[in-house]
This record gives sequence, C-alpha cells and structure tokens, in this order.
Amino acid sequence: MGMTDERTGVVARLRRTPVGKSIFRSPPRVTPRDRAAGHWSNFLLHIYPVKIRRRELSFRFSWYLGIISTVLFGSLVVSGIYLMFFYVPSPNQAYTDIQTIQTEVTFGQYIRNVHRWSAHMMVLAVAMHMARVFYRGAYKAPRQFNWVIGVILLVLTLLLSFTGYLLPWDQLAFWAVTVGTEMAAFVPLIGGSVQEMLLGGPVVGAATLLRFYVLHVAVLPSLIVFVLMIHLWRWRKDAMLDLDRSEADD
Amino acid sequence: MTETTPDGRRVLGLVPGKPVAGDRKEPDDQDLVMVWPHLLIRHAVAAMGILLSVLVISVLFDAPLRSVANPSQTPNPEKAPWYFAALQELLSHFHPLVAGVLVPGAIITGLIALPYIDTSPHDKPRHRKVAVVTFTIVIVAWIVLTIVGFAFRGPNWGWVWPWNEWHGEL
Repeated sequence: MGMTDERTGVVARLRRTPVGKSIFRSPPRVTPRDRAAGHWSNFLLHIYPVKIRRRELSFRFSWYLGIISTVLFGSLVVSGIYLMFFYVPSPNQAYTDIQTIQTEVTFGQYIRNVHRWSAHMMVLAVAMHMARVFYRGAYKAPRQFNWVIGVILLVLTLLLSFTGYLLPWDQLAFWAVTVGTEMAAFVPLIGGSVQEMLLGGPVVGAATLLRFYVLHVAVLPSLIVFVLMIHLWRWRKDAMLDLDRSEADD
Repeated sequence: MTETTPDGRRVLGLVPGKPVAGDRKEPDDQDLVMVWPHLLIRHAVAAMGILLSVLVISVLFDAPLRSVANPSQTPNPEKAPWYFAALQELLSHFHPLVAGVLVPGAIITGLIALPYIDTSPHDKPRHRKVAVVTFTIVIVAWIVLTIVGFAFRGPNWGWVWPWNEWHGEL
C-alpha cells in the first residue's frame, strides 16, 4: 500500500470517501508501485500493459494505426446503432429509409456520412497497420500467431464493409454486391452453393438484403470484437518483451 | 535505524550528497516506461485526431446515394467496392479461376503463413531483403491494380483518364 494521500483536490477527496474507495479500490497514486496497482485494478485500463518499451511511444514506430483502427471501429458502432433506429432491411423500405435519414432524421445525414467515411477509413487503417507491422518485423517469434489473428481481423473488416455496402439498396449497392458475389461463384465445386448461401437465392434480392443486414449488425461485429479482444490481449502479454535484436543485426 | 524526513515520513536511511558517477543513464529505446501517462496521452491525441478528421470529412462530403436499386438496369461500368477493385481489374485480364480464386486465396494463405515461412530473427530491412522486396512488390502491384480498377476504368471496363471522365464510386 502507498503512503498517505495528502492531495486536497476534489477527485482525490472523493476517492477517500467510503463510496470512492469501493469504486476505485486502488491505492492513491503516489509511488510507481501504486500506479501499477491502480492500473491492474481499473477495468478500462486493463486492456493496456502497465509498462511498454520506450520505442513503442514514437509515431514512427506504429503510426498509431492500431489505436486509429480501434477508434474508427468505435465510431462505426456508435453511428451504426443510431442508423439502426431508422432503417428496415427490406427492398420496399430500405431506400426510402435512407432518404428519410438524410432529410428528416436529426443529424441523420451527418451520422450516415460518419458511418460511411469511417468504414472506408477503417479498411485503409487496418491495411496500413498490417503493412507497418510487416516492415517493423513485428510478426516474428514469439508474435507469429498475433499476426495471423490480425489477418483474420483484416478479412472481417472487409466483410463488414462489404455487407454494409448493400444496405442503402441503391444502384451502387445492388450492382457492387452483384459483382462481388459473382466472384464467389468461381470457386470450384462449392462456389455455386457459397454464392447461393450468401444471396439466399439465385440473384441479389430481399433474402440477400436481410442476410447481409444480420451479418452486418450482429454476426460480424460480435465476431470482430471477440477476435479483437484476443488480438489486444496478446499484444498486452507481449508488450514488455525485451527483444533487442540490434546486436544480432549489427 | 529509522529516520524521519521533514514531512514526517519514516525511511530506513538518508545518504547525503549527489548520486555517484554513472548512476544516471541516457534514455534507451528498450527502457520500460509507464503506459499511463506516456502511451495513453498519445493514444488520446491520436483518437481525437482521427475523430476530428472523420468529423470534418463528414461535414464536407455527403455519402453517395444513387437511384433506387433496379435489377433490370445494369449500370456500365459495373463497379465493385474500391477495396475489391484490384480483384475486378485482375478478372478483366485472367481466367476467373485465377483472378477470382487462386490470387486472393494465395494472398490470404501467404499472409497467414508469412511468420512461419520467414523465421529469421532479424528485423532491420537490410537483413531481410527477400521478405521486404517480395512484400513491397505485392503491395505496390495491389495498389496500382486498385487505382486502375477504381479510377481508370469506364464503360465496358475500357481505359479512361479520370480527369476526363470519372467513374470511381465510394
């Protein structure tokens, strides 16, 4: 336990009340040891390691693309939930719902823009994150499997973006998904059935819209959150590794 | 022996004077630093930066919305989303089995297998030329194909100059 906390700020005093102690449970942050203890006992901070190597702080190390991808995903969840209140995935309603969102719903056009541009930016950010990790050689032992998990996250990101592309039910959406799912049909033997399973019929139609919607708002987001948790958990576990390879390199 | 500091804290002992020579060291890349505040403050700035960019872009540009989907009216050109533009461009040059199945399959498999193929411990580019050159060629080819498929293709997938006619869709 740390030394007595003598700070007189409002937050410090609130933390010393019985209720404050029950919420925070960690010693006041006076010594480095207290700071580590506070870190471990905080739910929001537990996804982070307590300490990292100094080189990981700089922009050129990561370009901060991991946190940027995660924040863009957060932006997509928030804006996506808002859009769900005003959208029905049926060919009769989807398009007019989008028009209503753009013209009548409060901040509807803005939130739709946020969702659209965040999605494109997330695809870019995830791809660039992968390239940055490659050039840093960060996929090497013992981190090989976290790279594999990252590839899965890239595929899930593409699938999320692609399933969302159909939902406005405009010409752009309809024909982009027609072209995209035609590619699946080229897979030998199973291609035809894969395409039919995706579409729910021979061509893009009402069943496709419903399937893509369920994949887009429930299945794929749950999957990506689950896989992302494993990705971050492994990052945290490996964050304090001392892999000074400069000796081997020079 | 126990002593007491001026502010009343008990310590085992106080040694007067300066630290001995060599006690202080230069900061090193491999030093451990506390995540709070050093990394968290940078993550907070990165998060606010990217959210600000999203805000500005969303205020300036509206998401596209074309006319309602019409299965009997195929647009020309038919374009996949931009991140599949490279695949679509490949499809116009090779048999669908090659461009639509073998190439994407090989890319995904190659990415997954990469850390198990490249097992050298070096991380400086000059010690891993084969890996860096191969990866760079694939990435550059992919970016070129994406840009061509996205911006340089018009009706009937013919070549167009994007500054003359624009067919890219986001």
